[in-house]
Amino acid sequence: MGTYILKRIVGSVLILLLIMVVTFLLMNAIPGSPFLTEKSTPEQIAMAEAKYGLDKPLHIQLLNYIKNYLKGDLGTSLKMQEGTPVKNIIFHQGKFVLSIKLGLFALLLAVCLGIPLGCLAAYYRGSWLDGVLRVVTTIGVAIPTFVLAALLLVVFSVKLKWVPTLSGSLTDTKSYILPVISLSSYYTCYIAKLMRTSMLDAINQDYIRTARAKGVKTSGLILKHALRNSLIPVVTYLGPVTAGIITGSFVVESTFSVPGLGKYFVQCVMSRDYPVIMATTVVLSALVIFAMLVVDIAYKIVDPRITLTTKEE
Amino acid sequence: MEENKLLLKVKDLKVSFFTPAGEVKAVDGISYSLGYNEVMGVVGESGSGKSVEAYSIIGLLQNPGRVIGGSIEFEGENLLDYTPEQMRQFRGNKVSMIFQNPMTCLNPVYTIGNQLTEALTCHDKSISKEAARKKAIEMLELVGINNAEKRMNQYPHEFSGGMRQRAMIAMALICSPKLLIADEPTTALDVTIQAQILELMKDLQRKENTSIIFITHNLGVVAEICDRVSVMYAGRIVEQGKVNDIFYRPEHPYTRRLLQSIPRLDETGDERLIPIEGTPIDLLNPPQGCNFGPRCNECMKICLRQKPPFAQVGEDHISACWLHFKDALGKEGANA
Amino acid sequence: MKNTFAKISPFQVDPEKIMDTFGIRDDDFTAASSQEKESMVEMHKSISFWQDAWRRFRANTVSMVALFVFLLCLVFAFIGPKLIPYTYADQYRSAQKLGPFEYSKSEALVRSVQKSADGFYATALRPGSLTAIAKGDYFVRAGGQTYAFTMAKAAEKSVLLLKAGDPEPLRLVAEKDIENGTYTKYTAMEVSDTPAQGATELKLTRRVFPHVFGTDSQGRDIMARTMYGARVSIIIGIMAALIVLVIGSLYGAISGLCGGVVDFIMMRIVELIYSVPEVLIVLLLQVVLKDPLQMWFQNHSATSAFVRAMSDLGAGIVSIFITFAVLYWVTMARIIRGQVLQLKKQEYVTAATALGASNARIIRKHLLPNCIGPLVITTCLQIPSAIFLESFLSFLGLGVSAPMASLGSLCSDALETISLYPYRLVFPAIVLTIIVLTLNLVGDGLRDALDPRLKK
Repeated sequence: MGTYILKRIVGSVLILLLIMVVTFLLMNAIPGSPFLTEKSTPEQIAMAEAKYGLDKPLHIQLLNYIKNYLKGDLGTSLKMQEGTPVKNIIFHQGKFVLSIKLGLFALLLAVCLGIPLGCLAAYYRGSWLDGVLRVVTTIGVAIPTFVLAALLLVVFSVKLKWVPTLSGSLTDTKSYILPVISLSSYYTCYIAKLMRTSMLDAINQDYIRTARAKGVKTSGLILKHALRNSLIPVVTYLGPVTAGIITGSFVVESTFSVPGLGKYFVQCVMSRDYPVIMATTVVLSALVIFAMLVVDIAYKIVDPRITLTTKEE
Repeated sequence: MEENKLLLKVKDLKVSFFTPAGEVKAVDGISYSLGYNEVMGVVGESGSGKSVEAYSIIGLLQNPGRVIGGSIEFEGENLLDYTPEQMRQFRGNKVSMIFQNPMTCLNPVYTIGNQLTEALTCHDKSISKEAARKKAIEMLELVGINNAEKRMNQYPHEFSGGMRQRAMIAMALICSPKLLIADEPTTALDVTIQAQILELMKDLQRKENTSIIFITHNLGVVAEICDRVSVMYAGRIVEQGKVNDIFYRPEHPYTRRLLQSIPRLDETGDERLIPIEGTPIDLLNPPQGCNFGPRCNECMKICLRQKPPFAQVGEDHISACWLHFKDALGKEGANA
Repeated sequence: MKNTFAKISPFQVDPEKIMDTFGIRDDDFTAASSQEKESMVEMHKSISFWQDAWRRFRANTVSMVALFVFLLCLVFAFIGPKLIPYTYADQYRSAQKLGPFEYSKSEALVRSVQKSADGFYATALRPGSLTAIAKGDYFVRAGGQTYAFTMAKAAEKSVLLLKAGDPEPLRLVAEKDIENGTYTKYTAMEVSDTPAQGATELKLTRRVFPHVFGTDSQGRDIMARTMYGARVSIIIGIMAALIVLVIGSLYGAISGLCGGVVDFIMMRIVELIYSVPEVLIVLLLQVVLKDPLQMWFQNHSATSAFVRAMSDLGAGIVSIFITFAVLYWVTMARIIRGQVLQLKKQEYVTAATALGASNARIIRKHLLPNCIGPLVITTCLQIPSAIFLESFLSFLGLGVSAPMASLGSLCSDALETISLYPYRLVFPAIVLTIIVLTLNLVGDGLRDALDPRLKK
């Protein structure tokens, strides 16, 4: 187990490094200088480039950039908040915490709602409940996050005025409701569908027949024998869910005007503030990769078979 | 065999699968009985209904399969009248079952110990954890698993195929059931392991006084372990008798062909193995007459029109074939 | 084998009864001929893999309905624009901010004229009514000739003239012509359903078409835009799925077929791409690729038809394709590799290898035909996910660029005015949802129909 975790951590760090390099190269592939505006003279550009070390050869720049990142220096914003260190923008203006909170709530909702719903649908398969859940989840995975967010906004904020239109900094509980629901709905539905399929799959396995032959109660069959096995694909899916929730936050935060990292990232992309784009990409990637790592470890806990393969290696 | 000494009496059992394509009569009216401490083999090719028949005894038939007729009497009680809860109490306690593929029949995410003790605790709520564990270790040792104490905490994937089947047997016998149904328990195993498992089952059968219904397509295995044999073809029993009668005095053409198709060590000649030509019938559209008729080389006209009744061909030996009636009825028919 | 009647059956049947119940005939105990035996066996009609799959798909009501609805969506997106008189880019200035099924003043006028009959009678002409009629691309038939009121922007101020004593009674002129003095005299038109004395019958050849989904702030018909957007979205989805199909299946097949070190390296690459948070990279690529692509378009579109086609699509869409080609094929590659590895063990592939078939031939003749099921399923399910991604990017303002529209960009445009005109979001959103939903359902149906594991 220990070696496995270590191996996965090393792998994760390597992937993150790779993403850093790719981001760097992509940003350098853009023609023209980031300081090139209509007003700037060649001297000004040269000065600015010298200031940020952009006049050095590419590999030196790359090394400097990685070194700086390792030291925790994520560069300085060029456009959005000129001169402000990116680190401060991301971590000290509440953006990071806000997005993490939103994402965690959404993840929690998706898991806590999706898994039981999937189990229910599988257990009562063929019943009206299964039918209703199937319709809801099937539609749920076909509605894009931004559409749902906008529709919720119209219905509950504009028409019914139950919750504020602008969620702002999410200071009260009410303002969390719509962003969290729109962020998690797709994944709630997807997890419910996945859970249903994998539960039905598990129910048809030979070991369930064995347990039935032993005289285990139906509740025991489902909750003990089938549930843990059918959780395996769901746990595997949690990695992509995390990535998706981060992506979804771009849309949801923009729609509800939540000043989080997602909204900020979109703004940077629009305004082409390269250092901020790079830093945000790396931070968000790190987040996703970290989530994948956690999921992989959780996977080991649910499925004991994996432990053996690592032992054998 | 006297009625009151019977453990299990199956009478005219009919099981059908209601598929979208139509009704499949997987078991079409079979009857047999099983005494205490008796081992009966059920032999047949795949699809002959031998597993379905076993599943209906233990109540494991799943949709779209349904028992549509007949009765299954276990110690005088008709199992088909049981409520689901009674059936659950019955399963694993009075009758238990071991399956073909030990690789997939144990739950991969729980330890062997957990799964063994579960068999105990779900029939006896009062049993303490320690007692259940002790009993489980005892059972593991009984089925010849060394280091049982340590093995209890291991997961199925840490067991070899033979070991898993041993664990399965231990699990099946942990409540001391009166009847054990073994559904091709050795088919998925290596030949050497097969022999070990058979030896173990024979041994345990004697020790625990359990009756066994042994389902297999392997005639060699039948000879090894069974007292009596039922030969099934396309949902019906075609011949039933003591193991020696079936092997040395087979009466039904199907049984004879089946025996010709496997190598035998006791006959020294270099005679060729004769395969049974053709494929089993389509149970969706069973023929009007004898199910084996189309593949039988002694097939007569009546075989295509009418299903044959059983004929008593020896002591405790019956066979369902028109050939047995040929001498008597055929002549009379010709005279008339 | 000696049997006596005394021994017959433990189930107590006496010989007489057997004779009776079974209706024994004279020749019953003679051997049956092989023809007779054969006639007993009813063989199932053998059906091909595709027939079988189609039968199963057809039996799946949900998927069939979904397929039908998706076909309707295709009609909506591809044939629809030809059926309505509006296009996605035309701005009708008098028809701004209309709700669903609302008419602009001018359209309402024409409609009121049309209500009772397709023709109407005009005895005189007023400039006001002319402007109105001129606005919506209508044709008036009179005196055996057809007069068109064109959609040109200049036509907005044009006037329908009915000149007394003119051999051509009806004429469309621009306002400036009147100012110039080309036409000085004109008669105002009185429109009625019943002919008055000396009235000319005017026939409108085209009816007023309602703005079913309303119009946007620039007076563009939202249904026309939704149709167009749906077409763009579907095309992007299919193209992206095809890119994924080609790259993924080739990569997977090569990896699985070569095995060994090649497979190992290729699969590590797949794993690497798999663990990259793709949408972040997609966003980056969108930003990075925009300028180089536009430069490439400018430099080469004169010489290459391909580049011209690409430049028509716009940098946003092309970079979507590129990101699909770079990042999204891994799932397909994994599935195909799995299939190939499984198939490689089959005897017929070994036989082909033994006969000296080349790897390319084995891929073409043996592996791909056998992988067709998973290929079809994965491709089909790739389309909605590509549409999802495209709409997501367009929603963020990164996908298609104006004046092109996709369902995502339509939703994004609508968001600005969502509190006033929610229907502008609702219609494209519903179409988008229906397309994704039906494609998902069709994909599920295909999986059920093509996946042999579910075969019973």
